[in-house]
Amino acid sequence: MKKYLCHPQKGLHILGRILTYVFLIVLMLLAIGPFSWVLLSSFKNNAEIINTSLALPKSFSFRNYAKAFEMAPLASFYVHSILIAIFGTLFNLTVVGMAAYVISRFRFRFKGVVIALISALMMVPGAALLQPLYLTAKNLGFYDKLYGLMIVYAAFGAPQSLYILSSYFLTIPREMEEAAYLDGASFTQTFHRVILPMAKPGFATAGVLQFLLCWNEFQFAMTLTTGNKARTLPVALYYFKSQFGTDYGVMFAATIIVIIPSIIVFVLLQEWVVSGLAAGAVKG
Amino acid sequence: MYKKNKLQILLYILPTLLLAAIIYGISVITLVGTSFTEWYIGSSPRFIGLDNYIEMFTGRNDFYKAFWNMVIWIGMQCVIHVSIGLLFALILSKQEWYWKIARTVYMIPNIISGAAVGMLFIFILNPEYGAVNNIIRAIGFKDFSVNWFMDYNTAFFSVTMMWLPYAAVPSLLFLAEIFSIDRALYESARIDGATDLQINLYVVIPLLKNTIGTAVILAATGMIQKLDIIMVTTGGGPGNETINLPMYIYKSALMDNNFGYANALGTFLIIFGISIIFTIRLIFKVGQSDM
Repeated sequence: MKKYLCHPQKGLHILGRILTYVFLIVLMLLAIGPFSWVLLSSFKNNAEIINTSLALPKSFSFRNYAKAFEMAPLASFYVHSILIAIFGTLFNLTVVGMAAYVISRFRFRFKGVVIALISALMMVPGAALLQPLYLTAKNLGFYDKLYGLMIVYAAFGAPQSLYILSSYFLTIPREMEEAAYLDGASFTQTFHRVILPMAKPGFATAGVLQFLLCWNEFQFAMTLTTGNKARTLPVALYYFKSQFGTDYGVMFAATIIVIIPSIIVFVLLQEWVVSGLAAGAVKG
Repeated sequence: MYKKNKLQILLYILPTLLLAAIIYGISVITLVGTSFTEWYIGSSPRFIGLDNYIEMFTGRNDFYKAFWNMVIWIGMQCVIHVSIGLLFALILSKQEWYWKIARTVYMIPNIISGAAVGMLFIFILNPEYGAVNNIIRAIGFKDFSVNWFMDYNTAFFSVTMMWLPYAAVPSLLFLAEIFSIDRALYESARIDGATDLQINLYVVIPLLKNTIGTAVILAATGMIQKLDIIMVTTGGGPGNETINLPMYIYKSALMDNNFGYANALGTFLIIFGISIIFTIRLIFKVGQSDM
């Protein structure tokens, strides 16, 4: 200790380390604190929540979770969310994957225009389109339909997926396709048998991000649906706020039910999310 | 090079173009077109020239409050949020034992639904049972009771705290970029006797200039879109204390059913967003990268 005292450099170094840890701990608490507290409280009954807010639950009972599923059509919202997330992602990857392939491989007229147009979509704030898209949905008949939200989300994620996928295709050597062509494979066969299998990591990254977009989106799920036919979980949350009133534990449980799948998907597939976010944003 | 097939190219690109045209194309045309009309629910649009825009800029309404709140949030996000992300990335880039777990934990608020983040904050900031007030009471302020989202003095701060500290996305960008820096640059600086702080300040941060520009653009565009989290928590209130342009558009379109006016606001928001992006690009001279 004495040694450090006569070394101002060393002292500064220790101070720097302490500040670093304080900074990290504060950020970690902010990141996980609210979620952890709500998760723990979701096992409590109302009296515990109000009287012993900071204590651990007396017992880990899933009563609130059961009640949340009973009181609201959570199960059907869950099914909607899963269907929209899975098919919205598949639709997005299929459509955008094809476009990304020709954009990354061929020169053609208006290619610059196509790229510019799709990049420009990234600059359109969703909020501006609330009413026009509602009108489009009504006119084209996909208002309050599950497939309506799938189409809308596939379009919202298109610029991001296009960027991730075309960057990935560029890393695949052209020799692979040339060999396939020499063997007499057609355009479509080459795409399906040569490119798609090699581009799996690219699709995984774009797919995870698209899945999270579909799962989490709120404002359009809200404006493009009515009643319970096509509502997704985030919208359900908003309505629980008034519906459950003072049944806090049930509300906590419902919130956790919405959050858990995102966390599971992220933790399992995080390497892809991380590399995808880094790649997708380099262009800005 | 193999022969290209024009029809195939067209067929492959057409679905994406159709999708973009249906969802974005029609909507943007409707948006701009009807922004010059008077249009309420149940009636058909009637051309009124620039009246909506005149009302927007000169009328007694929430426009300026919403606009300035949004501008303040954009400014804070570009400076504070991005700085937190940068600091976090510089710390994690040393790859000490905790770096991967810290990265994962920090990402969590960013991957869950904005509506759910809003709910979490409603719960922890509840004046009665919420964790925050109870912690403050537990450390000695026995009668402490603030209704964070409903009090005029705290609402803006509380809303800001739902996104300002959660800078995992910029920090991921910085981390990816830092890892791609040639190690030899550090080593030579270290041999010359530079401290970690000096290396960060004079070697790493200058190399991150482009990425900082990208992070600032993302931070700004994120703030131009913020709606879900505000809708779930304060709805723009108390009064109009925490309203921003997206929230104002939502209110005008879906609560007042004043479609023409809402679409004038939307048109303004798009133009404002594009000018912000180009301004930031000019400031940081972010290179135009082609896909």
